[in-house]
Amino acid sequence: MVKVNFISEGIISSINKGETILEAARKAGVVIEAPCNAMGTCGKCKVKVVNLNESSVVSREARHHLKPEESQAGYTLACQAQVYEDIEVVTENTVSQNKTLKILSEGMRFSYDIISNITKCFDGEKTKVYSGKTLIGEEPGDTSSQAYGLSIDIGTTTLVAALINLLTGEELTSVSALNPQSLQAQDVLTRIKFASSPEGLEMMYNSITDEINRMIENVSKDAKINQRHIYEVVYSGNTAMLHLACNVNPVTLGKYPYTPQIFGGNNITAEMLNVSPFGLIYLPPVISAYVGPDITSGILASQLDKKKGITLFIDIGTNGEMVIAKEGKLSATSTAAGPAFEGMNIAYGMRAGKGALEYFKIEDSGEIITRTIGDVETTGICGSGLLDIVGELVKAQVIGSNGRFITPEKGTYSENIKKQMIIKDGKLCFEVAHQVFLTPQDIRQVQLAKGALRAGVEMLLLCLNVKAEEVALVEIAGSFGFHLREESLLNIGLLPKEFEGKISFIGNTSKTGGEAFLLNTDFRESMRSLVKEIDAIELANQKDFDKVFVRELSF
Amino acid sequence: MSELFQKLSDAVVDMDEDLVEELAYRVIEEQEDAFEAIDKGLTKGMDRAGKLFEEQEYFVPELLMCADAMNIGVEILKPHIKVNGLREKHKVVIGVIEGDTHDIGKNLVKLMLETSNFEVIDLGRDVPPQTFIDRAIEEEVEIIMISSLMTTTMDAMADVVTNLREQGMKDRFKVVVGGGPISQGFADKIGADGYSKDAANAVRLCQKIVGEVV
Repeated sequence: MVKVNFISEGIISSINKGETILEAARKAGVVIEAPCNAMGTCGKCKVKVVNLNESSVVSREARHHLKPEESQAGYTLACQAQVYEDIEVVTENTVSQNKTLKILSEGMRFSYDIISNITKCFDGEKTKVYSGKTLIGEEPGDTSSQAYGLSIDIGTTTLVAALINLLTGEELTSVSALNPQSLQAQDVLTRIKFASSPEGLEMMYNSITDEINRMIENVSKDAKINQRHIYEVVYSGNTAMLHLACNVNPVTLGKYPYTPQIFGGNNITAEMLNVSPFGLIYLPPVISAYVGPDITSGILASQLDKKKGITLFIDIGTNGEMVIAKEGKLSATSTAAGPAFEGMNIAYGMRAGKGALEYFKIEDSGEIITRTIGDVETTGICGSGLLDIVGELVKAQVIGSNGRFITPEKGTYSENIKKQMIIKDGKLCFEVAHQVFLTPQDIRQVQLAKGALRAGVEMLLLCLNVKAEEVALVEIAGSFGFHLREESLLNIGLLPKEFEGKISFIGNTSKTGGEAFLLNTDFRESMRSLVKEIDAIELANQKDFDKVFVRELSF
Repeated sequence: MSELFQKLSDAVVDMDEDLVEELAYRVIEEQEDAFEAIDKGLTKGMDRAGKLFEEQEYFVPELLMCADAMNIGVEILKPHIKVNGLREKHKVVIGVIEGDTHDIGKNLVKLMLETSNFEVIDLGRDVPPQTFIDRAIEEEVEIIMISSLMTTTMDAMADVVTNLREQGMKDRFKVVVGGGPISQGFADKIGADGYSKDAANAVRLCQKIVGEVV
């Protein structure tokens, strides 16, 4: 056995020789963020070993390479560093950085009558609580004026919970938190893999349940209500997150033909949540393995099936889900954009926290305007900033349609941009801010992400035999989309130019749609029928998808 | 070497299909050797395009355009190759592992190998591990190439190696893996013989392997 001393936490973990620093951390309950689940690809689990030498730590060859100066300073990837002698480790405190993450909790709403599934009735002695027509419990005395529900958006990265008064429809308060599962496994597929073993599933299920209980406690305190008066919770999220939150093994989602184990559209008991002892969880209907209840909620919130003309609904994220509606007929698909928009695989990429450049624009005068979260020195680039930078540079012809930087000698762009074109590690890069660069490889990552999303859009249009100019309205849902600018989406060609002026950003409709499910029980039946009618398209099975994808890689 | 061959090579790199076509006909008119025109002109051009791809000068669309240009030339020149001038092609099987239907990467590797004088047996996608082995034996290939895009399916790649070992055929074939979530570390872990990060690199790796095998 060897000892790993985590100095910052004051915790010593004993492990077998040859086990990794990450394994030592997980054993001792020290949190090291490892979004790629120890694949050695993301580089986020970087730690500093005080007494690093060749006999104490052997690092496996990994895809992610540390900078030479980092290696010299004793940094190593916790997931790849096998320990052979006692060592002291200093962890990077990335988890607390996440506290500054921007999380959007607002989304589009529409008006509807309040016909809550939960009703209460005082009979002079006790209060009876009903779910629909079924009696689910009784409380002593008159509690009929206290009936609350929760709409929870279970995002892959973030959670948002809104406390709703079931009698008035009023949102009392809302809180957000990081999805704790992202510390073990960042993306949906890695999480499916993690949870395919009983221990992994238990860990994922417990961590999300604990976090949701914390959120329940917080909203209840904030609104000064008794959490035992929360009777129903709506879980809105993607299909995989729903499986994990319901303690259902998601393994079949990760393998062709990608079949869900649960299909939603029903209630389950909320016994693991600290709400009313007879509380319920409602799961909105699942469209497919990769188009989940969050999109069902979105369709409801946007009233997509009621819209005249042709509307395209897109949730832009690591997985881009999209639904096209043509006079009440809906088709849906999803496309793997990859984690570039989360700042992963981007040289100076980071999440939308303090120090992240989130806005970038080149004015007609040639002046560059940037904005950084937290008004501090720029330390990296988040997803919206990345799209802005690449979009503006494409527009200014600093980046050609093939995704290559045009050299200052050949370029016709302004002098102040030329000054920011710098050779770094032998490659021409764009210096976005002091010591923060956009590299040629980053542009490739953006091309891949936007190519996948745009190909999805094109295939949906193709399947319905619709031309881009015939689309009347484009709704961008999701918190990431909310921070994007129409101009950047068009500049990089993530969306066709024909969509100009038709794009609206509708925010977190997973949450607001969940509220509608909570407050009007009629939607549960109508959405169940609607979801059955949605044509779920699997892009990989579409003829010519690969050709369209390759074509759309260019700007 | 004929100046024409150099021009053919350049035209492939420049993605100029019309020029390739014109030059290919000139090869025939001027009675230059068709095989050499392919080998020292078109294939050479594709090889250069692959290098540009590795250096991030070219991306997937450019690479495909180069391949299109090359194939136009090959179609014109092929009927004019003297039979004894044909060089035997090295054979590989390629496929996307069971559970996975993402085949864009696999198709690109296949295309690049074909432009570099490999015969590629394409097993398609969602291919069970044993099928790779069965077909490799049947087709008498030298290399088994497996691709995966999903973290959730990559582990089945290990079954190919394990099965080969159990069936006493680990030395008969080389196993090369690649795809989004795959790394050199993963390839080493499952006992694969090689890992390639992209299509151009895959060609180089296969050339190296068959060089050693022969």
